[in-house]
Amino acid sequence: MRSAVDNAVTERFKELLDRLGEKSVEDYYNPYKMFDWVDSIPEDVYWMSEDLISPYGTELVDELGVETMMRLSKWESINFYSMNVHGIRELLIEVVNRIHMPGFEIPSDFFHHFIGEENEHMWFFAEFCRRYGGKIYPTVKLELGSAGDADVENFLVFARILLFEEIVDFYNMRMGEDRSLHETIRQVNRIHHQDESRHIAFGRELVALLYKRIAGRLDETELRGIEDYLKRYVAFSLRAFYNPAVYRDAGVEDPMGFRSRLLADERRRAPELKVVRKPMSFLTKNGIITDPTLSIN
Amino acid sequence: MSTAINEVKEWILAKHAELTDIDPHLDLIENRLIDSLSFVEFVFLVSQLSGVEINVDTIELDDFRTLHNIEKRYF
Repeated sequence: MRSAVDNAVTERFKELLDRLGEKSVEDYYNPYKMFDWVDSIPEDVYWMSEDLISPYGTELVDELGVETMMRLSKWESINFYSMNVHGIRELLIEVVNRIHMPGFEIPSDFFHHFIGEENEHMWFFAEFCRRYGGKIYPTVKLELGSAGDADVENFLVFARILLFEEIVDFYNMRMGEDRSLHETIRQVNRIHHQDESRHIAFGRELVALLYKRIAGRLDETELRGIEDYLKRYVAFSLRAFYNPAVYRDAGVEDPMGFRSRLLADERRRAPELKVVRKPMSFLTKNGIITDPTLSIN
Repeated sequence: MSTAINEVKEWILAKHAELTDIDPHLDLIENRLIDSLSFVEFVFLVSQLSGVEINVDTIELDDFRTLHNIEKRYF
């Protein structure tokens, strides 16, 4: 059975694919030559924009003091790039599983650009982690079976990819523009943001199309189940920025307790919502989410 | 059953209003009481309550499958 993408495409989507494909060719660069990998990045500076560090907005910033906050910014940045490595690895598996398979003939050309670019992003994020942090933080993964319904599964896969890319992009944009950060940090974030803007444009169009396809035949309870799952996925992604292993590496006492205090602190909700403002607004505008309330802690 | 494992049970029950109790041998993962989006928090909860630093690289899934297994391994 032909499923998912090819049956849902519109002329507008095909035109977008052509345009994005051309742009990928025009903007192509060699990542292995592109970066200015300095020998080391000073430890007595922030490695992340201060407003992106997890205690931002709470009294825990003062409790930690500047020195620990700087150390924390280093390990939180390594955590952020590690999340990118794992997120990309997982999305590549999904896209590779679909390229040139029945139902995906139309976007397959674009998938080649997507896979190539994402592979390169994964390389430069991993390179940053290993050069300047000496490691990539591990991820906990619990594999459960698919949703069963192929159309729903396709929609959820591309919705998760889009949400992941949009969340990461918020951080990339902020750090790419932050003149207080080291140039190597700014460069990694800036270049990723440039490529991701194409992937996000593709993702938004595709997710909206795939949703229309399932919204027409699923009942209200099933659609609200999808809404609930996506909101849980957003909350899950935001919680990944509060990593006890990072707090441990930064020398924070009682890393698990520190994490719990931060997650319970209502002053963290505003910075978190800022990170997901764009994707939540996209999901709401397309009727995928009817109530944007998130339960993060 | 220890207080700590009861706290683990209460944490799961709070997320599943349809349940009133959980059999200590019920497979929490097979029965989707814990899914891919709640598993990390679940591991952190067990770590916090037990005081055991859990290395996410080397997690044995079976240790988290039932309340009985969790109690045996961590409490």
